Amino acid sequence: MQAVLQNTSRYLSGGRSGHLIVIGLLVVMFIVGAVLSDRFATSNNLLNVYEQSAGLAFVSLGQTLTILTGGIDLSVGSIISLVAMLTSGLINGNPAMVLPVVLFVLVLGTLIGVMNGAAVVVTGVHPLIVTLGTGAIVQGVALLYGLGPTGKVPLNFDTFAYGRIAGKISIGATIAIALFLLVWFILRYTRSGRYVYAVGDDPHAARLMALPHKRVLIGVYAASGFFAALTAVYLVSRFGVGQPYTGANYTLASITPVVVGGTMLAGGRGGVIGTLLGVYLVSLLNNVLNFMDVSSHFQLVVQGLVIILAVSVYVEKRRVA
Amino acid sequence: MKKKLIAILLGMTAIAGYSPPTQAETYTGVPRTFLFNPSLDVCFKDTAQYKKTGPYVIGFSNAGLGDSWRVVMQHSIMKAAAEHKDQVKQLIITDAGHDDAKQVADIQDLISREVDLLIVSANTEQALDPAVTRAMERGIPVVMVDRRVSSNNFVTFVTASDAMMGRLFAQWIVEKLNGKGNVVILGGQAGSSPNELRVKAGMQVFNQYPGIKILDTVYSDWSPVRGKQVMQTVISKYGHDINAVFSTHGLQTPGSIEAFLEAGFKQGEIPPHTTSDVNGPMQMALKYKVPMLEVGYPPAMGGTAIEVALKVLAGAQVPCTYEINAQIATTEGDETASIHPDMHIKDMVLPDAPADMLVTGGMGPDYNPSTYKVDYPH
Repeated sequence: MQAVLQNTSRYLSGGRSGHLIVIGLLVVMFIVGAVLSDRFATSNNLLNVYEQSAGLAFVSLGQTLTILTGGIDLSVGSIISLVAMLTSGLINGNPAMVLPVVLFVLVLGTLIGVMNGAAVVVTGVHPLIVTLGTGAIVQGVALLYGLGPTGKVPLNFDTFAYGRIAGKISIGATIAIALFLLVWFILRYTRSGRYVYAVGDDPHAARLMALPHKRVLIGVYAASGFFAALTAVYLVSRFGVGQPYTGANYTLASITPVVVGGTMLAGGRGGVIGTLLGVYLVSLLNNVLNFMDVSSHFQLVVQGLVIILAVSVYVEKRRVA
Repeated sequence: MKKKLIAILLGMTAIAGYSPPTQAETYTGVPRTFLFNPSLDVCFKDTAQYKKTGPYVIGFSNAGLGDSWRVVMQHSIMKAAAEHKDQVKQLIITDAGHDDAKQVADIQDLISREVDLLIVSANTEQALDPAVTRAMERGIPVVMVDRRVSSNNFVTFVTASDAMMGRLFAQWIVEKLNGKGNVVILGGQAGSSPNELRVKAGMQVFNQYPGIKILDTVYSDWSPVRGKQVMQTVISKYGHDINAVFSTHGLQTPGSIEAFLEAGFKQGEIPPHTTSDVNGPMQMALKYKVPMLEVGYPPAMGGTAIEVALKVLAGAQVPCTYEINAQIATTEGDETASIHPDMHIKDMVLPDAPADMLVTGGMGPDYNPSTYKVDYPH
């Protein structure tokens, strides 16, 4: 609570009121949960919510980058499915294979991303269409590799998803925070990072100014592929196996925290901190709705309303500005 | 009382609290699969370590409500909780919408809410295994219902016997055809465990009869509409050469009968069909004189799961797999040497109830899934 308030005042004074709506919703949800159940505001439950955020966090981090350039990556769900299948399929219970396979699949995810970026740059076709196409291809390959759960992983592979520092703090979710901070730093303090915003803000100007916009585009899709692959490894750690549709829900789910966190679909505006807050919002929302005994059908309705509410506030703000 | 007596007599074995909504005499004793089991080594679990004083908070993590069977099963759980209000303080239900990630989080959330026991119907066998295993490691007993996880890290699994269903279906078809004829297998969802287990068990019987030929295996995704489409293709290919349809559940059987009718098959010409649970195929069997065998996979197992849960929390021994009874019914005159049904389909069917209703839910004759409400503790 203290931390939330500190954040609030920092964003107010820093003129970053864009995150206020998400923080406001987080606070409202926290209060609702705490009023409804005395077991909600326990460290046990909140640490669970933190842990549950990790899978969505990785893939949304990559998605933020593509959206910042005015693009989108609709292939992330399929990449997650293929990489999850390969991770458990290739490790197949052999502890010696864990490191090489994880490195291989992270590189593979990155390479699929590079191909996405290259296809966008070379063909000039909108990324929405390009990644829709590559997504279908990658999903097909996942199904060719196996029609059902494939392979297995050693027992201690679940440390990434279930491991806790000092028995409390989720390892996976903490790695997610570290990666968000790293990307935030790159976007803010390096030339490449500023190019991402420049390409998204005005691609023509970026080209006229001789910015390396092709390299930037390939870079963000490569990052998106990498982070999708990381989500896949995380999910194999959580489920103990890869399945051909493991990632199916993540394509659209990865976009929600990005837009809720204030990144404009048109590109050039927003950032990863908003996305991280968006990820926590989604995790906390699911948890609070479970505590409220709301059926999953209605949970979808509430999630939809929250998205529309949050995004409409941003649009309204821009109009006023 | 009769139930209690049997339970006491048979000591450790458990009984199924199942009664379909008909006047006909139904079998409510220990599971037949147990009676007919030739092995004396039957696995039982000691649950003394889970013994607690009630009333209890029970969590039910449902995979989803993807078809009408699953809706009735959930209602059956609510009904049983309402009937045991003295022991069940609260039943918390989560619905994962058939999403593994959500079901893993749901299970964690239920544990955060300090449930005394978890009932889980796993969306997929393997992906839910770590979550269920972790709950057990934390000392929370897990009762699986309908869909289990791949490991044995749970207290017991409440189900009906897919193997018995598949074998009875196949043996009845063999006997109806006098050991010689062509069979079409009308499956549900390819790769789903109930479908594959029933087909596998059925084939173990068919393979012992060289005169039986499998013409084709098609899949309906448990839907009558899809079942009709795939059967239309099969019928146009083989026509009157089809001598029987081995349908792995009643959800898709009506589609097949409709396809035969539209292909010009007259009353009495449609080959024998197998079915389970659903009212519609039984109504059609009587109307169009289709020889039919019904072996149930009763959604009433939801209520049984609550009863088993209470036994576990009372520290009573339970079987490792809890197979609840399926009632067996045939159309009149279609009894065979090995299939002597509990009742006839005319006594099991609800003539005026909707076709998509499941008659084996134990929910009573006035039950309507879309308007059902029960005051269960939550």
